Amino acid sequence: MLVENCYPTARCEALRVHSLSLLVSVLFSIGTQADDWPHWRGPQRNGISAESGWREVWPKEGPAIAWRAKVGIGFSSFVVAQGRAFTLGHADERDTVWCFDSASGKVLWKHSYPSELGDKYFEGGTTGTPTVSGEHVFVLSRWGDLFCFEAASGKVIWSKNIQTETGAPIPDWGFSGAPLVHENLLVLNIGDAGVALDKATSKVIWQSAKKNAGYSSPWPVQRDGQWLALIGSGSSYVAVNPRDGKEAWRVRWVTEYGVNAADPIMDGDRLFLCTGYGKGGALFQLDGGQVTELWKTKKLRTQLNGPVLFQGHLYGPDGDTTDKAAFKCLDFATGEEKWSHPGFGTGAAIIADSKLIALSSTGELLLAPAIPSGFKPTARAQVLGGKCWTAPVLANGLIYCRNSRGDVAVVDGRK
Amino acid sequence: MKSTRRHFLKTSAAATFAFNAVPLLAADPGRKYRTALIGSGWWGKNILKEAMASERVKVVALCDADGNTLEVAAERVNDLSGDQPKAYKDFRELLEKEKPEIVIIASPDHWHALHTIAALKAGAHVFVEKPTGHTVNESRAMLHAARESGRAVQVGLHRRIGPHHISGMKFLKSGAVGDVGMVRLFAHSGGGREAPSLNSAPPDGMDWNMWCGPAPERPFNSKIHPGGWRQYLDYGNGQLGDWGVHWLDQVLWWSEEKYPHRIYSTAGRSVRGPSVLTEKEQTSDAPDYQVAVYDFEKFTCVWEHRRFADNNAEKHKIGAYYYGTKGTLHVGWRDGWTFYPANTRDKIVHEDSQLQEPDGHNLTLLWADFLAAIESKTKSVANIEVAHRSSVLPLLGMISWRVGRSINWDGAKEQITGDAEASKLLSRPYRAPWVYPAI
Repeated sequence: MLVENCYPTARCEALRVHSLSLLVSVLFSIGTQADDWPHWRGPQRNGISAESGWREVWPKEGPAIAWRAKVGIGFSSFVVAQGRAFTLGHADERDTVWCFDSASGKVLWKHSYPSELGDKYFEGGTTGTPTVSGEHVFVLSRWGDLFCFEAASGKVIWSKNIQTETGAPIPDWGFSGAPLVHENLLVLNIGDAGVALDKATSKVIWQSAKKNAGYSSPWPVQRDGQWLALIGSGSSYVAVNPRDGKEAWRVRWVTEYGVNAADPIMDGDRLFLCTGYGKGGALFQLDGGQVTELWKTKKLRTQLNGPVLFQGHLYGPDGDTTDKAAFKCLDFATGEEKWSHPGFGTGAAIIADSKLIALSSTGELLLAPAIPSGFKPTARAQVLGGKCWTAPVLANGLIYCRNSRGDVAVVDGRK
Repeated sequence: MKSTRRHFLKTSAAATFAFNAVPLLAADPGRKYRTALIGSGWWGKNILKEAMASERVKVVALCDADGNTLEVAAERVNDLSGDQPKAYKDFRELLEKEKPEIVIIASPDHWHALHTIAALKAGAHVFVEKPTGHTVNESRAMLHAARESGRAVQVGLHRRIGPHHISGMKFLKSGAVGDVGMVRLFAHSGGGREAPSLNSAPPDGMDWNMWCGPAPERPFNSKIHPGGWRQYLDYGNGQLGDWGVHWLDQVLWWSEEKYPHRIYSTAGRSVRGPSVLTEKEQTSDAPDYQVAVYDFEKFTCVWEHRRFADNNAEKHKIGAYYYGTKGTLHVGWRDGWTFYPANTRDKIVHEDSQLQEPDGHNLTLLWADFLAAIESKTKSVANIEVAHRSSVLPLLGMISWRVGRSINWDGAKEQITGDAEASKLLSRPYRAPWVYPAI
């Protein structure tokens, strides 16, 4: 199930988890595969989980809720690893890092630090998502507070404010990209084209020009044996060598207010970008430093959560928070729209076992086959109220959903 | 096909004129005005979108001090109309090279006067955002320039033409509210303490010196640009300048009086905290609450805003209350208008708003009215004469707050009487090389 471009860290974890899940399969139900979700966009960083064997239909009264919690204002997603689930929220001028027992919802530890609400044209609160790597969890706040915690205990291994240290400007809505762990490095979307620290000592190894970052998470790809981190900056998407920050290529991509938020997608030598405020998306062919546009579309104007590429099709929301955004499927090769599901809003979806798990902006959770012939939900339930702009997360049969107020509903999808 | 049809219309109209020898009242519907936008950010693009939707403009040029803003706007124009406007960072170069017939001005307030006057002198009709000027004498200079040019000037007071405003005004003027003795205008929202934010280098491709223009050059901060400048008094006039002007304009529309004779305002930053401006960081400096009292001959009008606490104790957060002997009329924004009778046994009367979303305005109607004014040479609903009178009201409120006392306003002469210090604030020094416009 591992894709060719699977990231080494993810590969190790995935392999380990897969071995565990194999054991689980043997012991409990043949054909079921469990998976952790240790970082933003899941085990392979593409929004797709290999997990199978979870419930795809629910009883009439809706799915069982394994546990609920209140974590504070924000849009941070969940990460789940080794029986622990992490997220962030904001209350009373403080951000809190939460560590729950992933199955029961019991709070294992939490850590708070002073922070601004930052409610510029929205509710404010936390927007980034933690990253788990091995025994550690890394957190970057909107204002540059950076932490390395011991995942088991919540002990602070080190912390600093990376913004004041680098002098990089804070983009309008703060830093929001999830940290990327690459070998011994921690790569962050800060500055024009990222910054990297030694993950053990927090020493800055390299930094880029003091210009506005965008809002996507550094995304690792391997081309011709070399690792690159793709970084959405304020006015372009840039590929850098994570070891030294050296720029490999850059695609100019100017979005209103510098909101390059959706994660880029790379498939072989093809790069897909899409952003909101009416801009839309485009597919580029990369040939060394040469960038050629293959097609562009106004059918996928993604302000917040990027689409997922699955079996030659893109699945994701089209529109801004102020629009009546629809959930769409586009042919990756041509950009042709295959279907559109209106009224979805700027929610988000992931894919697992060939099925979409989609949380609408009003808190409806939908399950549907990820197929280009149409959006045909097999299950749907109102699991949250309020405003949901955060991708749901599937890990070990549980679907973690949250809204902007910080209400958490963990849907029990275990059979 | 399109051009053929246009050609046909053109010829047939001309033929009608020739044979019947009657004045041509309807303008050539195929005529497209060479149009330029100065200030190509959020609101500028909203106006331009309506202009393009009218199919009566060809967008020839865009101007902005920020190169990224220009690039986004040019792409939007191309998407919506197929036009490929030229991009300029200097409005003077644009006016000279493009010779636009219509100029839309949606730059920050501190630029309105110079942009408008230059566009009028270049022979263009102007659609400019509210309030007209940043200081009173700029607005007067704009009015004079408009009169001299004979061109149409429409000001972005779209509430003058919004359907629920028109029906609400009709209801008010019908006497259904009784004798109105007082008006209360307000805009309330939530908010809290404001921490200073770090200054930074302007974005690549931005001419910050040009953006600041005649106003003081503050260190660049992304809280100012894009969009946040309304709360920085060097460039805007806070909530009173931004929101207050719409509602004060409604009062002048309703009242038979043209101006108040006395104005008093008090304001502060009780929640946001003292303003900060250092080389390293800054906050905004506009008040987070303000009360401004406008004494007219027959009634008093009070403006009130808060940027904290919201207003959940009342039914409405934005708008105007007209207090009459028969009850209270609320004219609002998305909540339309509602009449609450004094006699609680009588029925509440309500009408919904009819706005263009997502930003809740009526620019389509305002743009159509502007085009009609250009073509029929009639006065548009928010023409400069009308809009100038409304725009000076928030500016006078700000003067009273700054000097800390009531000011007496001679509206006929447009002078503050008996107060040299306050009178001085009708203008302000310009940063060289820009020169304050002469009246």
